[in-house]
Amino acid sequence: MNIVVCVKHAVDESELKADSAGKPQLQGALSKMSNFDRNAVEEAVKLKESRTGTVTVVSLGSGDWKKSIKEALAMGCDRAIAVNSGSALDALSTSYYLSRAVRRSGPVDLVVFSEGSSDTYQGLVAPMTAEWLKLPFLGYVRKLEVGDGRIRCELALEEGERVAEASLPAAISVVSEINSPRYPTLLQVMQASKKPMEEVSLDSLRDEEAPRGGVSVAEVQVVSVSRKRILFEGTPEESSRMLVDALKKEGLV
Amino acid sequence: MSDILSYSEDGGLALELSAGAAALAVASAGGACALVMDASAGAGSRGPVLVLRGDAPLAGDHELVAQAILAAAKTRGSSVVLIGATKLGRQVAGKLAVMAGMGVLSDVRDLKVEDGKLTGMRGVYAGRFNARLSSPLPCIALVPRGAYQATASGPAPEEELKVSVLPSRVRHLEERPKSKESVDLRTAKIIVAAGRGFKKKEDLALAEGLVEALGGVLGASRPLSSDLGWLGEERHVGLTGIYVRPNLYIAVGISGQLQHVAGMKDSRVIVAINRDKQAPIFQVADYGIVGDLYQVLPALMGVLRS
Amino acid sequence: MGLFQPEHQNALRAIYGDAQSTYAGVLESLAVFLEEKVVPRSAALDAGGPGIGEVRRMLFDQGLCRMPFEAPGGMSLPFGIYSLAMELAGSADAATAMSMGVHCAVAEGINRFGGESLKESFFEDLISGRKLAAFALTEPSSGSDARSMSTRAVRTGSGYVINGSKMFITNAGEADVYFVFAKTEKGHAAFLVDRSTPGLSTGEDLAKLGMRGSRTAEVRFEDCAIPAERLVGEDGKGFEYAKVMLNGSRIIMGSICVGIARAAYGKALAYGLQRNLFGQRLADLPLTREKIANMRTEITSGRMLCLYASRLREMGLDYASEAAQAKVFSTEMAARVCDHVIQVFAGYGYTDSDIHRHWRDARLLTIGEGTSEVLRLLIAGREVAGSR
Repeated sequence: MNIVVCVKHAVDESELKADSAGKPQLQGALSKMSNFDRNAVEEAVKLKESRTGTVTVVSLGSGDWKKSIKEALAMGCDRAIAVNSGSALDALSTSYYLSRAVRRSGPVDLVVFSEGSSDTYQGLVAPMTAEWLKLPFLGYVRKLEVGDGRIRCELALEEGERVAEASLPAAISVVSEINSPRYPTLLQVMQASKKPMEEVSLDSLRDEEAPRGGVSVAEVQVVSVSRKRILFEGTPEESSRMLVDALKKEGLV
Repeated sequence: MSDILSYSEDGGLALELSAGAAALAVASAGGACALVMDASAGAGSRGPVLVLRGDAPLAGDHELVAQAILAAAKTRGSSVVLIGATKLGRQVAGKLAVMAGMGVLSDVRDLKVEDGKLTGMRGVYAGRFNARLSSPLPCIALVPRGAYQATASGPAPEEELKVSVLPSRVRHLEERPKSKESVDLRTAKIIVAAGRGFKKKEDLALAEGLVEALGGVLGASRPLSSDLGWLGEERHVGLTGIYVRPNLYIAVGISGQLQHVAGMKDSRVIVAINRDKQAPIFQVADYGIVGDLYQVLPALMGVLRS
Repeated sequence: MGLFQPEHQNALRAIYGDAQSTYAGVLESLAVFLEEKVVPRSAALDAGGPGIGEVRRMLFDQGLCRMPFEAPGGMSLPFGIYSLAMELAGSADAATAMSMGVHCAVAEGINRFGGESLKESFFEDLISGRKLAAFALTEPSSGSDARSMSTRAVRTGSGYVINGSKMFITNAGEADVYFVFAKTEKGHAAFLVDRSTPGLSTGEDLAKLGMRGSRTAEVRFEDCAIPAERLVGEDGKGFEYAKVMLNGSRIIMGSICVGIARAAYGKALAYGLQRNLFGQRLADLPLTREKIANMRTEITSGRMLCLYASRLREMGLDYASEAAQAKVFSTEMAARVCDHVIQVFAGYGYTDSDIHRHWRDARLLTIGEGTSEVLRLLIAGREVAGSR
């Protein structure tokens, strides 16, 4: 079974700082594999381990994005395609180039995504890539079963669960409840560098269907957290009394 | 006939979006039209409604809904489509965007049409920053709850459009709807949210006691809803859960990870109760008590009752 | 806070040049593992909780003890990379790091001096963590003056009989094997003794000021008979083996202390940026700035000394003095830094074990694996004799 998993090298939002003008300091900001992508990689590797097959990890990024690809290889992916994107692309372009990279990886049975990235969380790239590839898409998969050329999934929707299925090849996005991602051993991390990784440029993937224009970011500004940060201390009774007094003043109780 | 279209499978969100489409239409001197799948919308819509009908039901399947919306957009010459930012909405928007070559502004508020572009504001980096995004037209906007206010009005002019769609490649085998708990955190004015500080599911009774004493609603951080399953997903506040803006948000035993804070940071007043004074939640709270929730909650309820 | 910081990346670049990206990948992966799986358990371990076996198991499975040894069993990583790994482990939980550090030193002893038979029987079990080891040199009446030990091993027909006792032994009671030093007719020898050997018993776990997650106790040998194969290497060379093993583990104890200091310093810095007084942040007051500068400089210095000694070892050069220097400096530095950290936190520093445990943990290491005093004798002795 040939599986492709797509991962994003996302800015670590918890470590990201704002400069004096309130802009995010992206230069030199720490980046890591988007959290939920670890679940996607784990699910892809688990599937491969339960039968014969290969997992190819594909990632579109720039800077040191190959670090996340190496993490995925350490977790058990067999090979990688690293698409060097230069600058950040919007979801429509990202999904387009991912779809071309997936095609380049060879015949595929299943393309796996996470439910969304930890830094921008839109949940768009997965269904878009599926559409570029003309594959049926099952989103928010909490449990899956593959067999007889089909994939059957339990989908975690707002109003409840749905069991749905599609014929392979197909694309899915998984929710983080689907599994607990493994921690590769240090040896596996070292050996990841030896697994094949192909780097490709956008130019080499582009064809006449490439989207033009696109969503641009006009301005990013830090949200100033102007909270009072008043801490009440003392016994539980004392601090509770002070809290209730404060809430009364706020007109809340 | 360039109409701004709006659609959500969620009735309440659909009403908000049709109000939004109408506002945008006024600003751009055009029209607005709310899309409904399969059957008439009934009372309470705002502005013209277009009922889309196929040979078989369209609702609930992103492949069918996307194709239907594309047909409507072509008929109406639409350059802006508002879609409710639900899980289905995202999948619809994704497919539609590629089919029609449209950009998507997701999870945006404060939409404006200016100079042939649609712009909107969204939170990024788990809500620590706000970004103004801009897309040339035609364009899709995924709009969350609360971006617009629904305006209730009488029944609106309704038209029907017959659409021809390719059958979906996804087969729905079974639906397991949640037990209809009529809890909607999005409209709650007071929320008490429980986190990992609670050691056992039974201990949530303490949080429920506070909820009752305050007249609020119980919420949860992700570990308690998704991982432990102590509370349903409909109570999960956070980046991948529900975004809430109550007047009062009390986070009990919640450390304050960004993923959670993203869902509640716009609450008017935030209170945190946690035994760890280093917990990040205290950085985003107006008031905090550093202490053991097992002692603080009973004390707090005692004070409220007296 | 991420345990793998730009300063670690820079240390790798400065010391290891182009190879740094492979090493960085390994250390970053370990750092994430430590942050997610070990740090959250540190407080409970310090409170006397029983979980250290499980935490060790997770780190063994990660491959921590394979790092400095040759492939195939080991990862053939430079000793300096292992040293940085132990720094990160020290930041996460010092007691676990120390427990594994002494264990890995025994693995080195078996690997270098054990002879084919002992290596085959034990080396893989040790580096995989299937068997836990303890290093038994110190006695109730001889610590710094280790040569004067009274534990004796007498040759018999089939092997040796050991009588005596060892004191303050890390992992005592938990260990599967004890690497025991004893006096023999030929001088000193080292033996590998199974926990189940009749005549071996361990005392009650000692209540310590810090490093409370790990077990420390007396180990007694009463007519403890062991077969001849359990002699490590040559009879008479035991003390030489001890000195070699201690060189490596002194660097490691130094690194663990750098890690302790770094973790404590990180907390103090974050606190200084949040706490407000006299209309400013605590971190902006001049006396706090001075502390920050001193702590920062000392942590960098300790790390560099440990890496310097590691590089000398990697190159096959004599590094005993440098290892001692790295340990003396880093362990004393950690106690200084952690003391300042308590001061920065003021009342919270004195009352919150998440703060004061760093000082309590660090405080052991100017004592264990060679007191600062005896190491100064070693360093100065070399200088005065001019022998290198």
